[in-house]
Amino acid sequence: MPFCTAISMLNLIYNEKIRAVFFQVLTFSLVAWGVFYLYTNTNENMTARDMKTGFDFLWITAGFDTDFHMIDYKAGDTYGRVYLVAILNSLLVACLGIIGTTVLGFFVGILRLSSNWLVAKVAAAYVEILRNTPLLLQIIYWYLLLLAFLPKPKKSFDVFYLDIFFLNNRGFYGPSAFFDSGSGLVAAGIVIAMIAVVVLFRHARKVQDLTGRIIPKYAWGLGIIVVVPVVAYFIAGQPIGWEVPILKGFNLRGGWRVPPAFITLVIALSVYHSAYMAESVRAGILSVSKGQTEAALSIGLNRGLALRLVIIPQAMRAIVPTMISHWMNVVKNSSLAVAVGYSEITALFMQTSLNQSGYAIEIVALTMLFYGSVSLTISAFLNIYNKNVQLVER
Amino acid sequence: MNQVATSSIAVRSARWARENLFSSWINTILSIVCIVLIYNVVWGIFSWAVLNGVWEAKDRRECFAILGKDENGIPILGACWAGVRVWFNNIMFGRYKDGQWRVILGFLILIVWLIPLWVPGVKRKFLIAAGAIGLYPFLGAYLFLGGERSWFMSFMVSLTIINLVYNTTDWVGDKVFRVSLADTLRWKLVDRIIPEKQHTYALMALFAVLAVIVGYLMRGWGLDHVASVRIGGFFLTLVISGFGITVGLPAGIILALGRRSRLPIIKALTVTFIEVFRSVPLITILFMATAMFPLFMPEGFELNKLAQVIPAVCLFSACYMAEVVRSGLQAIPKGQYEAASSIGLGYWQSMGLVVMPQALKFMIPNIVGNFIGLFKDTTLVFIVGMFDILAMTRAMSNDVPWRGEFHEPFLLTAVIFFVCCFTMSRYSQRLERKLGGEQQ
Repeated sequence: MPFCTAISMLNLIYNEKIRAVFFQVLTFSLVAWGVFYLYTNTNENMTARDMKTGFDFLWITAGFDTDFHMIDYKAGDTYGRVYLVAILNSLLVACLGIIGTTVLGFFVGILRLSSNWLVAKVAAAYVEILRNTPLLLQIIYWYLLLLAFLPKPKKSFDVFYLDIFFLNNRGFYGPSAFFDSGSGLVAAGIVIAMIAVVVLFRHARKVQDLTGRIIPKYAWGLGIIVVVPVVAYFIAGQPIGWEVPILKGFNLRGGWRVPPAFITLVIALSVYHSAYMAESVRAGILSVSKGQTEAALSIGLNRGLALRLVIIPQAMRAIVPTMISHWMNVVKNSSLAVAVGYSEITALFMQTSLNQSGYAIEIVALTMLFYGSVSLTISAFLNIYNKNVQLVER
Repeated sequence: MNQVATSSIAVRSARWARENLFSSWINTILSIVCIVLIYNVVWGIFSWAVLNGVWEAKDRRECFAILGKDENGIPILGACWAGVRVWFNNIMFGRYKDGQWRVILGFLILIVWLIPLWVPGVKRKFLIAAGAIGLYPFLGAYLFLGGERSWFMSFMVSLTIINLVYNTTDWVGDKVFRVSLADTLRWKLVDRIIPEKQHTYALMALFAVLAVIVGYLMRGWGLDHVASVRIGGFFLTLVISGFGITVGLPAGIILALGRRSRLPIIKALTVTFIEVFRSVPLITILFMATAMFPLFMPEGFELNKLAQVIPAVCLFSACYMAEVVRSGLQAIPKGQYEAASSIGLGYWQSMGLVVMPQALKFMIPNIVGNFIGLFKDTTLVFIVGMFDILAMTRAMSNDVPWRGEFHEPFLLTAVIFFVCCFTMSRYSQRLERKLGGEQQ
């Protein structure tokens, strides 16, 4: 009898289902215990330090100003508004960084594949040097370099020699637009022009498919997109104007301004990530077999068309997923702004606001929420793209 | 004969240049642009750093005075290496002033430990690596921090030393004299007393006894205590990234296995964990560690900043490594799993003996790529106020005698990182080619 119970005990131990349940319950209870332990500790610590909790701090006024904000903000606005300002600043620098990365990355990636030995080697050196040094080092170096070489406001660089854009050690200045009544008409003009261009492109495509006649759609499209809003602008009585920055006292006034830290970040993020991007582009183009180029050339396409219609679309299938993960990295690495004092979400919200208000857990959670939702959005787009590409395939 | 050879080389190089540099007029223009660019950059840096470099000066002003001005009254540009020379020690060791020999000795020991991994034909490389990961930290921690030893620490330190001596004599003896210490011990001595299956246990017991004895003998010997805040400069960067790498890989493997597990709760937990920490930047995790860690811990439990930062870095690295390992696991064909279970291996055996070795081998370039990324990202601890290499580089240009001098220290730091990362990536490429060749 005891022997039998031993056997059945063994059966129980070696039963896969029971084991699965056992291990899961064990892990779960360990994790739950850990969370509970941390929770009680935190609670005790917070009552001991007299810290308040809850998200109502978002309506408390914040007593600090920021160097750069895209929506109206002044010291004395709420933390909720600070969060908004920080998110917009983060998104702006990330977007410009992404554009810079993509353009520069494609450029360098194609240079790396150049048939010119020297060009390919220079591009390779660019990639290796940038990839093998830390981004933070590069950001700080760019920042110091900019601050060392940018002039005082009185001697601002007149960028493009237009008397509109200026560069000095307070930042980069440009004209800002102001909108009077009647601007709506111009906006409507832009929308109508866009719709017209889309219709035109579809029509051109249809005509080309049916008859083979090629309509010069780019020239027409450009014409429409320029002419319609301009006409609307004059009909509405020139409602939109520019406010150009002018030197007053020791500083430029008027227009918009981005601080040097912002310029630094856009340059540093674009340059650093373009090195990674270039490698993806190169790998993507190399992944298209040589036979494809030959086939494209043999049906009479010239090199440019072969690249545009045959090689690039296939290479994109390999490039896009890695490209999007590089974009994600640009977003994440924009948090290094904290090192040069650009007020984006990590610097302004997670550092300044946290130190000022002391709502550690809420602020960390909100910051993580921002990054989490950005990465989820980006990966959602990636999934949609992948699905489309896979449908095209076979 | 000689004439022909040289002319043929000249002809060949001319042909090469024509084909590769001047094949069309666009290529010719590009080549010329590149040559001008390379000339300017290389010559500019060379004349700045080497020709005009100042090595002896007491401050930056003296550097400028030595460099002087040219005939047009424009200051001559030159690197002021004198400042970097003064600060070099800080950049490497931070504020670890006394007993830097301990740091150097620690890294030498690590190098000696790891050399056999690079020597072809050494047996039991896995055990050597596992020893380095599992035991070396004790020796390293004691060498770097010193102070009072608990009996456990004494035991571990002596065990580490014994392990190192054993490993080294074993592989050196095997390579040089064709006598393996391990085999001698196992087959000549232990075999007479204990059956074969228990050799490993016998050796472990022997080591433990030896360690107790050595630990007892070492009781009078000790090193001065060094506060952990004194660890800085490149040394700190190496310590943090070393922890990140050695903890990250095993933890990443476990997380990856959890993510591929068929057990829903384990899978859900690991997926959440990995995705949450992968979606936020490292700097956020570091802030979180320094701001929230004190809140999470029970009252009176205090940790220095180094001990707050290291877990954060390890956690981050584990989550990224988990994704790399997972993609390696996905690349293993299902037949391998089935084959492993059909010969009667259980889950851990089939993972450890069949699947994981293949997956890790397959993923070596990505794993090394991750290491490089982590090594570079370690500089972020500068932002939470640690005195790593970047902080020291930055501090130099705020030091009064050298105020405003930043090109030189940044160049030094960039070169240090470049050499480390470039070597790692080249090594992984070589390994990849070698392993790729093996498979075919």
